[in-house]
Amino acid sequence: MHYQTESWNSDHKPTKSSSSSVITDPLAHIERLASDNAVVIFSMSTCCMCHAIKRLFCGMGVNPTVYELDEDPISGKEIEKALILLMGVSSVPVVFIGGKLVGAMDRVLASHINGTLVPLLKQAGALWL
Amino acid sequence: MASHRIEESALSDFGHIPYAVPHMIHPPTTFTNQEGSAFDFGELEEAIVLQAVNETKQPLYAGRPAATLEMFPSWPMRFHHTIRGSSKSGEESTDSGSAVHTLSSRGEGSRLEPESPVGRKTDSSSDHRVIDQMHHLQLPQQIDMASGSDSPRTGMSQAQPVAKPTSEKRRGAGSNSERLLDAKTLRRLAQNREAAKKSRIRKKVYVQQLESSRIRLSQLEQDLQRARSQGFFVGGGGGAGGNISSGAAIFDMEYTRWLDDDHRHMSEIRTALQAHLSDGDLRVILDGYIAHYDEIFRLKGDAAKSDVFHLITGMWTTPAERCFLWMGGFRPSELIKMLTAQLDPLTEQQLMGIYSLQRSTEQAEEALSQGLEQLQQSLTDTLASGSVNDSMHHMAVALGKLTNLEGFVRQADNLRQQTLHQLHRVLTVRQTARCFLVIGEYYGRLRALSSLWASRPREILIGDDISCQTTTDLQMVQSSQNHFSNF
Repeated sequence: MHYQTESWNSDHKPTKSSSSSVITDPLAHIERLASDNAVVIFSMSTCCMCHAIKRLFCGMGVNPTVYELDEDPISGKEIEKALILLMGVSSVPVVFIGGKLVGAMDRVLASHINGTLVPLLKQAGALWL
Repeated sequence: MASHRIEESALSDFGHIPYAVPHMIHPPTTFTNQEGSAFDFGELEEAIVLQAVNETKQPLYAGRPAATLEMFPSWPMRFHHTIRGSSKSGEESTDSGSAVHTLSSRGEGSRLEPESPVGRKTDSSSDHRVIDQMHHLQLPQQIDMASGSDSPRTGMSQAQPVAKPTSEKRRGAGSNSERLLDAKTLRRLAQNREAAKKSRIRKKVYVQQLESSRIRLSQLEQDLQRARSQGFFVGGGGGAGGNISSGAAIFDMEYTRWLDDDHRHMSEIRTALQAHLSDGDLRVILDGYIAHYDEIFRLKGDAAKSDVFHLITGMWTTPAERCFLWMGGFRPSELIKMLTAQLDPLTEQQLMGIYSLQRSTEQAEEALSQGLEQLQQSLTDTLASGSVNDSMHHMAVALGKLTNLEGFVRQADNLRQQTLHQLHRVLTVRQTARCFLVIGEYYGRLRALSSLWASRPREILIGDDISCQTTTDLQMVQSSQNHFSNF
């Protein structure tokens, strides 16, 4: 298994590219974070559905990069608000693969069942064989 | 002049079609095209006069149309509206256009129906004013026509809507003298009658279904009450003994109806397979069955909002199903496993598809189960912790955590739905049909098993309980007959 430095287990802090306390363009920030790694999950440590989605990817042998928004005092709230704007209903969990938005749990499950998730992961380099 | 031209073109379009004044509904296309919002009152007056002249020569309900007979009665109306508000012309033109088109044998059946003009607004006050105008023009026959001409106005309005529903009905009643209507109109009338009859029948069936469901529901509730009063733990509200919530009751009723529908779908699929229908026809039936399943998932989604415990504890299913329940429903990977044995022969590609479907459902189930476990753990921690002082706060936190249950049940149903859709994609049409049959029969047998289990002969322990137990069992056995009809 390929372990990245920011493994989802450890305390992860988002990239310090935006040093100011307020992100000027949260969506762009999200995009930037999303394109940094093959699989990016925006989550909250207290959210059980986020736990489920993390379990799903790990069960498939993927090691996703996880941003726990409630553990980010600097930009967590901003990102959360931007995610609500993006997703409409709930903020987390939200999954990006290969820099592209996949969606929340329902979309991830649907794409896994219809067989499109694994090719997507392979394409992004998150899965080998 | 324009009106004459119109008359001629009108006649050329509709030749022999007799339109008596009160029955005239639909102006000819050319007529409409020629008029527009710039209507000439002079021409109107002339036309009215001409019509009056014609009227004196012919009876009102003449079989043969006078040259000017058809158009004019409603001109005053239309003109009146034009004067009043030419701004309305734009939005109404489509209506009148379509009304026109019906006459040129293109129309929608309902439009041609005298009783049902296309959503025209009526203006009773303007009617009266126009009638006054008619009087003003000193045409005694016009007055007759005016009263009867309320109806033709509908069809005539090109720029303004002048139809009045009541006048439509009046005209409609009058227009039952069918010798005055052409074949197309007759056919459309007949079609409308048919459609009306069909919808009446549908409504009756629906109401009957509702009634029977209501009776069944009240019977179930009675049984429940009786059983509970005997101290039975018959799928009721557990120790609380409270009434079933309304959301749950509604869902149970809808689920019963869904089961009946399922039975019907299954028979349809079975006969379709036996009759060796073409793949195209079979596909239509299967799409219907998929939609049927989509519906139960939608119903469950609604029920999850109002009473998630009812779903997740499986109170809506039979005991045997409840035993194998996973997150408020069937476990998709188990279903796939059960199917794999029944689905031979499969091509290599299909085997791969089924195998990967099984794997992905297992992974998804595992993930959701772990998420639910974390929820339970978190809930336990919340309830267990805290002192007496801040217990309310902890209760509030616990309540908040419980709301996540709905999300899990929804995702589980989503998983089930996606699994069925994927099965449909991987397999051929005939295989899918067989697959659905197998699924339907499997759950039918499981439900039957529940009934049989409940009605199996048991040791008599307490004398008091015997009689009511027997009654309940008899009912169970009776209901199990339905399940066996599947085989």
